[in-house]
Amino acid sequence: MATEETGDQLGQTTRLRLQKLKGQLFEVSLVAATLVGILALLVLFAYISVDAFRPGAASPVWFLAYFGTLVAPMAAFTLYARRKPAVQETNARAFAAVFGGLLLSVVMYAVIDSLSPYDVFTYVFFASIPPALVLTYDRTTDDRTYTGPAIPVSIIVGLGVAAVLYDFVRGPIGIAAEWIMYFGLVTVPAALLVARLTASRRGRRTGAIAGGAVAAGGLAVALASIVAGIDASLPVVLFSGSVVPTSYVVWRSVRTNPEGRVGVVGPFVLIGGTLLGASLVEGFGIDNPDTFLTPNLLLQSWDGLTASNAGVYPQIVGSIVVVGFMAVLAFPVGIGAAIYLEEYAPSSGWGGRLATLLEVNISNLAGVPSVVYGLLGLALFRRTLGFGTGIVVSAAGTLGLLILPIVIVSTQEALRSVPDDLRQGSYGMGASRWQTLREVVLPEAIPGTLTGTILALARAIGETAPLVIIAVATTTYSPPSGLFSSATALPLQIFAASANAKPEFRHGVVPAAAVVLLVLMLLMNATAIVIRNKYGRGN
Amino acid sequence: MAPSQFDGITRRNAIKALGGAGAFAMAGCTSDDGNGGNGNGGNGNGGNGNGGNGDGGGSLSGDIRISGSSTVYPVAQEVSRQFAQNNPDVSFNLTRDGSGGGFENVFIPGDSDINNASRPIGDDELQRCRDNGIEPVEFFIAQDALTVVVNNDADFIDSISLEDLATIWSPDTMPETWAEVNSDWPDEPFDLYGPASTSGTYDYFIETVVGETESDQEIRGDFEGTEEDDLIAQGVAGNEYALGYLPFAYYTNNPDTVKALSLSESGGDPVEPSLEGAQSGNYPLARPLFFYGHMGKIQEKDHLQAFLEFYINEADEDYIAEDIGYVPASDQMVEDNLTALEEAIAGEYEYSA
Repeated sequence: MATEETGDQLGQTTRLRLQKLKGQLFEVSLVAATLVGILALLVLFAYISVDAFRPGAASPVWFLAYFGTLVAPMAAFTLYARRKPAVQETNARAFAAVFGGLLLSVVMYAVIDSLSPYDVFTYVFFASIPPALVLTYDRTTDDRTYTGPAIPVSIIVGLGVAAVLYDFVRGPIGIAAEWIMYFGLVTVPAALLVARLTASRRGRRTGAIAGGAVAAGGLAVALASIVAGIDASLPVVLFSGSVVPTSYVVWRSVRTNPEGRVGVVGPFVLIGGTLLGASLVEGFGIDNPDTFLTPNLLLQSWDGLTASNAGVYPQIVGSIVVVGFMAVLAFPVGIGAAIYLEEYAPSSGWGGRLATLLEVNISNLAGVPSVVYGLLGLALFRRTLGFGTGIVVSAAGTLGLLILPIVIVSTQEALRSVPDDLRQGSYGMGASRWQTLREVVLPEAIPGTLTGTILALARAIGETAPLVIIAVATTTYSPPSGLFSSATALPLQIFAASANAKPEFRHGVVPAAAVVLLVLMLLMNATAIVIRNKYGRGN
Repeated sequence: MAPSQFDGITRRNAIKALGGAGAFAMAGCTSDDGNGGNGNGGNGNGGNGNGGNGDGGGSLSGDIRISGSSTVYPVAQEVSRQFAQNNPDVSFNLTRDGSGGGFENVFIPGDSDINNASRPIGDDELQRCRDNGIEPVEFFIAQDALTVVVNNDADFIDSISLEDLATIWSPDTMPETWAEVNSDWPDEPFDLYGPASTSGTYDYFIETVVGETESDQEIRGDFEGTEEDDLIAQGVAGNEYALGYLPFAYYTNNPDTVKALSLSESGGDPVEPSLEGAQSGNYPLARPLFFYGHMGKIQEKDHLQAFLEFYINEADEDYIAEDIGYVPASDQMVEDNLTALEEAIAGEYEYSA
């Protein structure tokens, strides 16, 4: 009897051990699966970046110089900041202001410059007068029933007026200097934004003074550039889009946040370290890495013979213009469709079945290969609508169709994640469906929606196949000058250059351009993360 | 719930405020420009008076769309780059579609001004051009020495006759191993690489080497076809018993990747692939490179005429040979091309094979 019991116990323990072993084996296989994915990605990126940066050619002193000026101070500062949440928060804000502002102003300048600042100004000007008038009326009257809907209508009317009057107005506007256009397009909004933000905290008077200071600063920069004999446009844009937000954030942090004010130093440690390192390298004649990732690559146009002259500026701006216009086309439609399907569509009866059918189809469309969308774009824009091949509108439209299902699905997810209690509560307080949507549901769903849509943008910027099908140019020497001029995109030039007969293109310029594309995409993802964190913090 | 809702409302207000600020920004901008704007404008004018006037000058402007062969693409790319540097208002749009792909998808529908081709235009393509009211103007601008390549380790072979090449590639014979073609060669299976059927290089090879076939295929089906020369070279470099053919430009820029074979024709001496050989006609696979202009568009667009003239005159420069790897145009070719251009501008050109 006793032996039997021991045998039984033994059996039990062996079974238990086996069970445990099974569990452990499962865990190990999961770890292995994770590692395979991560390692493969790491190796791929390492391979591309070694080809792009060619660190092998740099002397050890080069690494030492940048380690001393850039890596070590940055690491020290980060370690310090990590221990103090207040500093860390200010640091993050300063980084966002400095680099976000810089990026925003550079992109704005490049895009407006390629589309002609006069045209952009004309349209923006006309599109903003009617809503401004409506808002003024809104201030003076108590009857606000129609002012809300009137704003989008008035913007469309304004654009229509601009299109009609374009031929008459464009001439007189063209007389003014170019920087005045940029002043109107960038500096004036920046000044008003600063005025508004300051006014909300410190009263109208101070707000007006702050806004006036920004505008005066913009004028001063323009005058200084004219006196110095350089084109005033870029300095004005950089001042308004980069210097103004930077100083606003720095000034506010220093004044209102004594605990975290050290954090504003962060971005300047990075910039200063880079400049110091560069001047050291330059001054002592230290060997740089033999990289193709140079200012030439970013600022010049393509050269198919000399790899060191090859640049992808038109392609970068082309990608941004195409993806930007695509966003204008796809987001309102996609978000609108998602709101309808999620909030309004009937859930029972024939209407409900139709809505379910639509939803299932949209989910499937999100997985359709991009080549198929290329064919759709070719059929729709070239054959049916008769647009020229490979123009910005067709490219943006095709990519817009491609990301539309993704936008719809992610917006639906965001709307679905808003708790039903909030809706019921709002209804309970007597709000209508539209009021509930506007005041409760949409604000809650903004972070999810923005994250999803920006990730869709990041997907679109890397698409190649549909653009090849609709015959978008691989090489142009200037960025697209309008919506109906021929488009170009960075992935296409990368694809074309990978077939170049010269090895330095295939193993130098191509990886370098790929890194540029990756950085563009990562910047978009970073924007999505920043937005999500900013809005997510409140909840 | 309450805080959350409160949150939402402030957020919405913030957005509204932003929008309002933007709109007011514009409003402010109007009045600024309307009242004080005169003073500003005067100021700006003094600053860059030239900018305003220079716009409407007599310089060339417009767009030029070039499609077609990826073999001719490097030439078109370099010439258009130089032209764009001198004429910044002329915008170029270059795509690589293959000779046939370019005709089919872009030139015949009337979308491109110029289609590059590494072979003469086909009869049916010509017919479809004319059906669409397009007269293609032929310009013969350079020559390429089609290069047959093998693996660097393939010591058993240094030259090959065109007849053997035809035997290897023809769908009628389809030898499985090298030894089946020539008993001196090893008894190993072929691994064949070549351009895809949309490529003009393919068309030229079919016509010149393989010739008419008895079966309904143009070429044996079991080879790797691709538009990318690099992939052909890599495929050949990866297998000791591989064989492929490439444009000379690719080979001359990557001489270490693969080994080029000398070619012999009907019992003659083998000739190494070289630009001199292609120019003199000794090398049997010297093939012409063309581009075709759209006559209607040439007549219509001044900047296209100027570009074509520049292109034709540039085609005999040394960099075509040194940097790109093609035989530059001869004086006679330049002259003929200029005559064709003149006829096209006058609207009198008519293509004849």
